[in-house]
Parts: sequence; C-alpha cells; structure tokens
Amino acid sequence: MTSADGVVPIARRPGRILCLTASGTQMLYAIGAGKQVVGVDKYSTYPASAPRTKFTGYESSAEDYLPLKPDLVILSFSTGTLISQLRKLDIPTLLLPPATTVQGTLAQLDELGQATGHLQAARRVGAKLVEFLHHEAQQAHGRGKGKSYYIELDPTYYSATSKTFIGAMFSLFGMRDIADAANKASAGYPQLSAEYILRADPNYVFLADTVCCHQTAKSFAARPGFAGLRAVKAHDVIPMNDSVASEWGPHSMETFVRLLVSVLEGRFHAPAPTAASG
Amino acid sequence: MQELDGEPALRSPELPAVLGAAGGERPVRLFEVGDAPTGLVFPTRLRPFHLAIGALFVLVAATGALLVGPADIPPGAVLAQVASRIPLLGVHSSLSATDIAVIWQLRMPRVVLGGLVGAMLAVAGASYQGVFHNDLADPYLLGVASGAGLGATIAVVYLPHLAGLPIDPLPLAAFVGAVTAVVATFALGRSGRGGRGATSLILGGVAVGAFFTAAQTFLQQQNTPVLAEVYTWILGGLSTAGWQQVLLVLPYVVIAGAALIGARRLLDVLSVGDDEASSLGVRADLVRLVVVVAATLGTAAAVSVSGLIGFVGIIVPHTVRLLAGPSYQRIVPLSVLYGAGFLILADLLARTVVSPGEIPLGVVTAFLGAPFFLVVLRRSRRLA
Repeated sequence: MTSADGVVPIARRPGRILCLTASGTQMLYAIGAGKQVVGVDKYSTYPASAPRTKFTGYESSAEDYLPLKPDLVILSFSTGTLISQLRKLDIPTLLLPPATTVQGTLAQLDELGQATGHLQAARRVGAKLVEFLHHEAQQAHGRGKGKSYYIELDPTYYSATSKTFIGAMFSLFGMRDIADAANKASAGYPQLSAEYILRADPNYVFLADTVCCHQTAKSFAARPGFAGLRAVKAHDVIPMNDSVASEWGPHSMETFVRLLVSVLEGRFHAPAPTAASG
Repeated sequence: MQELDGEPALRSPELPAVLGAAGGERPVRLFEVGDAPTGLVFPTRLRPFHLAIGALFVLVAATGALLVGPADIPPGAVLAQVASRIPLLGVHSSLSATDIAVIWQLRMPRVVLGGLVGAMLAVAGASYQGVFHNDLADPYLLGVASGAGLGATIAVVYLPHLAGLPIDPLPLAAFVGAVTAVVATFALGRSGRGGRGATSLILGGVAVGAFFTAAQTFLQQQNTPVLAEVYTWILGGLSTAGWQQVLLVLPYVVIAGAALIGARRLLDVLSVGDDEASSLGVRADLVRLVVVVAATLGTAAAVSVSGLIGFVGIIVPHTVRLLAGPSYQRIVPLSVLYGAGFLILADLLARTVVSPGEIPLGVVTAFLGAPFFLVVLRRSRRLA
C-alpha cells in the first residue's frame, strides 16, 4: 500500500502495532484495531487503556523498539534515519503527517483501515465523523458566522491560521481567524504582535497553552493592556487542552467541536486547567 | 609618530600619567600584545558631539519605534498622546482606551526594554573585547548564553507549575544559570596552568559552554514537548515586554553599565597587554575580574528577559570603533547609546517586516550581524 513515506509492503494483517502518534492511536482504536496495538508513545493519552510506553518517536535508533517485536510502526514525522533503519529490520512503517483538513483525517483513517484489515470500519468511522461535524456545524453555524477568534499556542503569541487543522475546525462554523492576516509571517503558525491582538479585539480567545505554560483566563487578562479586550470582559477567554489544538484524530476533533459549540451557545463554564489529555 | 586632534603624541613612559589624567585627553600609544610598540596613536577623549550623535540616534530610533506598529495609530495621535502626559504642555489626546494601552502598556515598555537590553549587550561586548584583547569576544564568551539556556530549560521542564506566580521563574532561572556558568568558567580558568590569564579563561568558557549546552540538549531531548518553548526563548525577543521586565532589568543595567563606563580607562591600559599593564601599576587580573563580573551580571539580567540575542555585543562596539576610534574611553560609553538605538531599531524590524506577525529578534540581529562580521574580518585583515 501507499503511505506518506512511499509504498509500504504490508504482507499480512499486523498483530503487533507500535503507534508513535497520538492522533494515529485515536484512529486505531476508533476503527477497532486496538487489540492489535502492543505499544503507543508517551503522548498518546486517549484511550486511557492504550499500552503507553516511554517512546516519543524521537528515538535515534530503531533498536529501541525491538523488545516490543512490532510488525508495523506508525509515526507522524520522520527524524534521522529511523524509517530506513526499521525497513532494514523488515519492519514496515506508516507515516501519518499532521492533517490540515478533515479530508486529511479521513484519508488517514482509510490508510490505517487498509493496513490493519479494518477498512470497512474505518470508512464507517469516517462517515460518522463527517455526519457529526455537519450536524454540529448546522446547529451552531449561525452563532459562529463572522465571529473573530484568536487561538494561542504559547504566551509569546504564536497562533494558528485557518490553514491549519484546528483553524479548519473554526472555519466549519464560519468563524474568522485573526491570525490569517499574518499569513506572510508563517504559513500556518505565525507569531502575532501583542498590539495587533489588542487592535483586532477578537470575540473569542482560545488558550491552547494551559498545559505547557499554565496560562489561564486570569493570567491572560493580567497581561499589559489585555484587560480591555472584549473577550476578557465577556468572559470569552476559553482555556483548552494544548494537545486538542495539535491533534487531528477523531477524539480530539470531537472534543474540540463539542467545546466550541458549547462556547458559541453560551453553555461553556471554564474548568480548571488540567494535564489531562485530549 | 603622528599627531591627532592637534595633541602631541606620546613617547612610551608617560602612559600612566596620561591614563590617570582627567578625561584621558591625550592620545595613547597602541601596542600589539606581546609585541614591540606599533607606533600608532589615537585620540581618547570623548567629545560632546560623539555623545550628542549617539543620543540623537537613540532618540530617533525610540521615536520611530513608538510611532510605528501593526495597530496603525496615526503618528500624530501617538505624539499627542505622549505629549498629553507631560505636565504644563496642555496637549489633549482623544485616543481610545485600546490605543492608549497599545502606546503605554505595549510599545513604550518594549522600546525601553529594547534600549536597556541593547545597551547592556553592547557595553558588555565592548568590555569583554577590552579585557580579553579579542575583537571577536562577545558577552556570551564565558558561558552566559549556555548557562542561561540551561537555566531556562530547567525552569520550563521542572518548574512549569510556578509559571502562574507573580514572579516568573524562567528569567530568574536563566539569570542563575548564566551566573553559575561564568563562576564555573572562572573556577576552571584559574585552576589551569596558565593561572589567571585571558586565554585560560576563554578556554574555560569554551569547556563550560559545551558542558552546559550538552546538559540543556539532554534535558530537551528527554522532554520533547518543551522544545518549542525553549526554542522560542533561545531565539530571543521582546514580544511580551512590559514594565515589569523593565523594572527587573533596570537596576542591573544601571549598576553594571556605570561600573563598565567607570573602568573604561583601565581597558585602554589593558590593551597594551597584561605584563605591560602590571608594569604600569594596574592589576590586570583584578580589572578583568571586576569588568567580567559587571558585564556578566548585566548580560545575565538582559538575556533573562529577552532570550539570547546574538551579535549586538559585536556589531555595536565595532561600529563605534569604526566611527570613533579604538580607545575604550570612547567605545564603552558610546556602545551604551548605539547598542540601545540598534536594538530598538532591530526590534522595530522584527515586529513590522511581516506585520502583524513577528520575526524573532535574535534572527534579525543575526541577519544583520553575520554580514557585518564579514566586513569586520575583511577590515582587520587589511589592517594586519
């Protein structure tokens, strides 16, 4: 079969999968391939029952993975010669790079379904996901249309444009990303100027730096000049789990869309930020 | 022997008397370290027009930085707002609360912090070049950068739970790391066979820098989610500048800057070499210690709030050297002014070139600094 890292020879249904991407783990379990998984990386926190390891995907030697005897390794990025080392050991790999659209997630679900022998289930999960997104978007599109937002990835004002996966989620609801104006600074994740954020005065602020950097609605409002933002005044500064903003798996997608709908419908009440996963 | 500024050139034994004279008004002979006198002379007196031009540069840079930004407030309105805060002028400003916040809470502290950090890095660079007789010495020579980097990484990895406290642990940890690295460099440098010489200190700095960088890389590799945050800090920037950071760094810059300016004449003495300086009654090791302590504390404070901004400590002193001559009696105080102006302008570029996005400030200074470095190298080769 064909993957992002080329043609992958998977001769038989893999029974010992090592998955080193949290989004990939979500997809494997969603399509019913969880029983074939022998290990997931330390950042794969959903589902909680997944066999977590200390691996990160940044390992420099494929030898580290051998004790698990994997017959398929799934990664979302490729560092050094890891993939070529695995191939030399006759261990097939699948590369699932970060998706930037819902279609990207659906394509990866298909790919995983094909590789693990769960193609029909993968297509069912994909169709259900699309149905869910359409339903939620229909419900709340009117409330989101034209509303501006700022999503913060770290306290130095790195943000995500609508060309990213998380940006695509907002776009489903007709929302306007203030980071789009800085597209020339970076294709997907520009660093914004603080005074631009003040000037843009977004309707909503989403803090995706609550885990890494312990930001809260309170600490956001305490920054110089930020107390006057309408999102601060209207209590529309929404803390969220960092990983939800960076993962493209079905669980993260559903979690975020539910959060967004609750915000748009005024049902959101800020929980205390935790280190829980998305 | 030539005469400059209409003042008589010296014949060597008068050196201590000249250096002790108020204002260092006469030219000084320049010796190559360990060599016979070269016979070059240069003026040392800092003239009012030097200071006036430097001050004008800072004023123009600061005013430009205050007027320009992605919030698109008309420059006249910004000036009126600033003037409205000056008593007795009677200027009225009708800006919105947001625009007032942009000017006083974001742009103004950013300009002031940029000025303080730039001044500190430049004066520290100039002083390091003086005490180490090395044109390419910069404030990070003795391990400040790697120490601060390790400190920042430790704060990000082990102290994230303290991030919400009123005192941010990251600058504090970066400061402690920087000072620790330089103390380690001194300990290592003095334990060498060469004793207290500049070379053994520089070698100590290389070893300590490598060790601290290795420790930082190891920590990052073990904690990959922090990579982005540490990386952002390493690239340097003033994107989150506020009055709190200004107050944090101000005392260090004032005290360290004053100490280095006070030592400017001794740096000229050291330029003739340690042995020659000793024969003139100057304790080179003591001067080096005091200068390095002041420059290190100031640099550590600066990088703790701005991250690692490279090249300022090299570009600025060398530009001043080109403009005003090789005497540290001119280079040190003028580096304060030109360093402040340079970093304010570099930060203006950082926040306007891809506005409303930003470029890391360290990238801007390195972008300007690398070509400049080549010019300096070519020029020094020609002089040689």
